[in-house]
Order: sequence, then structure tokens, then C-alpha cells
Amino acid sequence: MAAVLLFGILAVPVAAGALAFRARSRRAMEAINLIGFAALLLLAVALAAQVLRAGSVSIWNGFLAADSLSALVVLLTAFVALACSIYAVGYFRDDERNHVFETDVLRRATISSLHQYYSLTPLFVFAMLLVALANNLGVMWIAIEATTLASVFLISFYGRATSIEAAWKYAIIGGVGLSMALFGTILTYYSAHHLVETETLAGLNWSVLVLNAPQFDKTTMKLAFILILLGYGTKAGIAPMHTWKPDAYSEAPVPVAAMLAAAVLNCALYGLIRFYVLTTKCLGPPFASHLLIIFGLLSVGVAVPFVLVQRSFRRLLAYSSIDHGGIMILGLGFGGALGALGMLLHLTFHSITKPLLFFCAGNVEQHLRSDLFRRAKGGIIHSMPVSGPIFLMATLAVTGTPPFSMFQSEFTILRAGFGGANFFPAILMIVLLVAIFIGFLVHIAKLVLGADPGLPPADSCPWKKYSLIGLATVVVVLGFWLPGPLFELIQDAARVVRGE
Amino acid sequence: MITLMAAFVLVLQIAMVGQRWLVTNIRVFAAQSFLLAGIANTIAYFNHAPHLYIAAFLTLSLKAVLLPVVLERLVKRIDIGQEIAPLVNVPLSLLISGGLTTVGYVVADSFHHPEDLVSPASLGRNTLAVAISLFLIGFYMMITRRKAIMQVLALLSLENGLFLAAISLTYGMPLIVELGIFFDLLVAVMVLGILVYRIKETFDSMDVSKLSRLRG
Repeated sequence: MAAVLLFGILAVPVAAGALAFRARSRRAMEAINLIGFAALLLLAVALAAQVLRAGSVSIWNGFLAADSLSALVVLLTAFVALACSIYAVGYFRDDERNHVFETDVLRRATISSLHQYYSLTPLFVFAMLLVALANNLGVMWIAIEATTLASVFLISFYGRATSIEAAWKYAIIGGVGLSMALFGTILTYYSAHHLVETETLAGLNWSVLVLNAPQFDKTTMKLAFILILLGYGTKAGIAPMHTWKPDAYSEAPVPVAAMLAAAVLNCALYGLIRFYVLTTKCLGPPFASHLLIIFGLLSVGVAVPFVLVQRSFRRLLAYSSIDHGGIMILGLGFGGALGALGMLLHLTFHSITKPLLFFCAGNVEQHLRSDLFRRAKGGIIHSMPVSGPIFLMATLAVTGTPPFSMFQSEFTILRAGFGGANFFPAILMIVLLVAIFIGFLVHIAKLVLGADPGLPPADSCPWKKYSLIGLATVVVVLGFWLPGPLFELIQDAARVVRGE
Repeated sequence: MITLMAAFVLVLQIAMVGQRWLVTNIRVFAAQSFLLAGIANTIAYFNHAPHLYIAAFLTLSLKAVLLPVVLERLVKRIDIGQEIAPLVNVPLSLLISGGLTTVGYVVADSFHHPEDLVSPASLGRNTLAVAISLFLIGFYMMITRRKAIMQVLALLSLENGLFLAAISLTYGMPLIVELGIFFDLLVAVMVLGILVYRIKETFDSMDVSKLSRLRG
């Protein structure tokens, strides 16, 4: 059963990618992606249920393994992938209608662009799933690097000068960052290799390393963690390594940007957590905590000025994502039972809420043909009766306003901060979050509300409309009711983070 | 023996910093990778680590032959100006590389454990110091070079530093990980190569300082 699940989860996106590559018509590619990701979500739910019932599962001598943390990340990745693929159908059909794709031989240009999207996206998702399921830290690194490589051409999708610039920065900054992470992985291996049998694959398996972590070489492990934090931090877009993020998020097609923001962030943080557990076991909590709190506050702080004076709403979302990455890092840094729980709750809620925000922004952008605030005269709500109000609601949700779920997770993280004698960072976090809340809300309220500028009505495409309404319903419901098994899974995963 | 070869690798890295011509730079990189393959072979022979032979072979075929050939063809195809035009002039760059090498030695020193003489670390703090220096100088080249293709080359030489660190510290990573890293590297160079080509087509130049339209 476990073998089927783990293998199936990795095989489904590969198969979907291969089929989409062979497909000839747009309809076929859309159907393959939708069916593939729907099947993936079912498998992910089954895996989560299996892990909850029977504990960790592994196959092939522990080459692939899933504990509750992996199962949570797999579940969220599958959810985001499905939501994005539903939205993508409407989004790219609208692009086609708006003649966004260059070349006059219209039909063919469109198909080859879509071909690229529909066959690379499953590969991209496959790499993310492998990050969560690989037990070996070296294989995990390879998978994280593969997420970068698979998404470079998704970011340069539109082929504009600016999108090629964004893709280049993404590839180069990501490449440098990940080389640091590889160095960190090598050093971890070195600090452990006198304990664990080296030269076998198991020597880098996390489940083996975690048992021996207290005897690791301490100096080496310190350097290793710093390198890992810088490396996977770059991938997660933690300040000051965040510079690729606004460019990539604003240039990529909306479904890709949503996946980068809601799923890749999780994978990068997942990699960081695995090393965090090893480091705290080896050196005790303070060393990693201090570093994480510094980088977390820096990320939240860097986001503030850019949110306040932002000119483009796509870039605004990127800074919001830098801010949320910072909050999660802070949760991990504050530590303790509450910190770990708060971080994972935030990770979950963020993955579900962020795509909604991106979809709204995508609808507005396609409507206005621009992502600049000054092109919009306000009053979007008059021409977009669905996207407008949901955009406002998603903004409230993502800035952590009660009753939405992200308020609860931010509150949990703050309690961890006050409880764990991190009084000053917690106060600073509140101040910064309030500033971001104000800036964000003012921008979006100005965009959505106001007098009717007389734009033609939009929101007619059913795919775009109903993916929005469906996801918005999930976000609202999560504010009041978190399903019991999901909460259990998160609690279990928090125990993994604490190294129990 | 290994230390001597490692020293040559470092010399080549610094030569790359001092070099002004693109094609020469690619060849220096090829020579550096060739030496690395030699080091890996030597370590494999003396320490009976057979899987390192495979890593050595891959280094030789990929980094010393295939990638340089691909990069040179790319240079010819897009027919760019040969000079590199670094942001910092050559003498100063050399001085900074010297400084970075010193940093490499200082950092490597902190790993020295007199007690474990049998561990591979005893194979030479020098090798580790060279590896860290390669890494740092690779970083430095990344920052100061404006031609897109030079940044790719800097990234590759940085990766050479990592490979040296891996083989000198632990006789290399487990084989499948090593294979995966090589595969990633190959794909990365292809992806970056295509991007370089598109940058050249779109901007009519390979100067990455022209990629500055996205701000704020």
C-alpha cells in the first residue's frame, strides 16, 4: 500500500508531463493536467491518511520516505497544483483571446507556448514532490535544484525582454544560492561521516542522520547550518537573498507565480527544517534560533517599505510572500511547541490563501492589460463583480485579519515569541505586520473600490470565475473550521520539527 | 601529490580571474576540470574508494570536454565580442582573489582536528582550503563579470570548488547523489545556454548590466 502510494505520487506527474508533451490539441493538454493533478490530490490525501494511521512509511530501503511533515508538504503541493491547473485553463484561454502570444501564425504559436506550460508544469510539480519524499539529503538537494531548472522557462514564458531578465536573475541567483546549500550538505555529511557508514547511500539519509545528530562535529555543523540557511533561504526568498522574487512573480504567468509563491516556498522551507532539526539536536536550540529570528525579522522588515510605495500589484504580492516567508522563519526561530505548530499552521494557511490572491490579481491584470496601479482608475468592483470583492477579501485574509485563518497562525507564532522570552522580536514583528497590513489594504482598496471608471464588464469566463469562488469558499471555511485529521497531521508534523 | 595538484587548480582559478579573453577562459576551466579529475582518480586509488573513479570519469567527460565544447560553440554561434570587460580591473581583481585565498585558509584551519589523523581530512587541510578559495573566488567572479556567459562559467568553477571539497573531505558523496548532481549541472548549463542565446537575441548584447528594467 505504502509503496503504491509513494511511487504513484511521483509517477502521476511524470506521466502527465509525458502525455501532455505528446498531446496535439489544447483541450487534450488541459484535460491531462486536470485529471493528473486531481489524481495526485487523491493520492496525497491517501498518503496523509496512511501516515496518520500507521506512522512514517518508506520504500526502497528508505530511499523514499514520508513522515507527517513530508505528507503535509505533499498534500499542500498537490492542492496548489490542482487549484492552479483549474485556473490556468481559463487564464490561458483568455490570453489566447487577447492575442498575448506573439507570432501572427496565431494558432501554432499559441499551441507551442501552451505545450511548454502544460508539459513543464507537471515536471515542476514532480520535482517539488521529490523534495518532500526524498529521504537522502543529497537527493533532496538535487530535487530542489530541479525545481529551479524546471521553472526557468515557465518564468520566461511570455518571451518579453523583462521576462527573460526575470528568468535570468532567477536562474543565476537560485544557482548561486543552491551551491551554498550543496556546500552545507557536504559539510553535514562530513560532520557525520565518522559515525554513519559512509559511501553507502544511507549515509545521507535524514532518518539515519537524525538518530546520530547529537554526536556530530559541532564546528562543522555550525558552518553547515549557516550555509544551508543562506542557500535554501535564497530559494525561499528570505531577505537579503529575496531580490529575484518580485521579478519572477510579476513576469511569470499567474498560475506559475502562484505555484512559486505557495508551493516552492514550502519546499525550500521543508529543506531548511530538515537541517534545522539536525542542527538543534547537535548544538541545542539557541544557535539556530538566533540566526532564524534575525533573518525572519529582516525579511518582514524589508517587505514593509516596498509594500508601502508599490506601483504594481503583482510585485506587491511578491513582497507579501517575502513577508510571509519571514513570519514562518520567525515561528521556527521562536521554537518550542507553539513556534513549530504556528509555523506549520502558517505554512498550510498561506499555501491555501496565496493562490487565491494571485488568481484575483491575474483576473484584474488580464482585464486592465497591466499590473500597474496607476493604469487602474479604481472601481474594479463595478466591472468585476466576482473578482473585485474576492480580491478585497483575500487581501484581508492574507494580511492576517480575524476571523481568517492566518490570524490564528500569526497569533500562535506571536505567543511562542512572548512565551519563549523573545519579547523584543515579537513586538517588532507586530509593528511591522501592522505596517504591511495598512499598506496592502490601502493599495487594494483603492484598486477595487471607488467610482465606476466605465470599463466593460468582465468575469464571464467560468473557469476563472468558479476556481476563484471555490478557493474563496475554502479560505472562508478554514477561518472557522479546521478539519480534525488535517490539524492532527499538522500537530504530528510539528513534533517532527521539534525532533521528537 | 594531491596538494600539488590542488595548488595548480587554485592557480588556474586565479588565472581565470586575470584572463581577459572569453575563449581562453573556457579553456582554463577545461584544464581545471581535467586536474580535478586527476585528483579524484588519485584519491580513489590511494584510499580504495572505487566509486570515485566514476565521479572522476564524469568530471573528465562532462566538465573537461563536453561543457567547454558546448560553451565554445555557443560563443561562436552568437558571435559576441571576445573581451570580457570586467567591472573591476585585473590587478585589483588578482589582489582580491589573493585575499579570498587567505580567507579560505583561515576557514579551513577551523576544521583541523589533530586527533583524527586517519580521517580523510588529514589528506590535506590544503585541499579543503583550496576548495573554499575556489568557492569564494567563483562568487567574486560571478559578481564582477558582466557577460552572461562568464557568469555561467563562474558558476561552474564554483561548482568545481564544491566537488573538490566533497572529495577531499569525505571521498565524495554517495554515488547516486554524485550522479544526480552531474545531471543537474548538465541541465543547468543547457538551460542557461538557451537563456544566454535569448538574452543575446532580445537585448542584442550579453551584458547583464543591461538587464535592469525590473526594479522596486
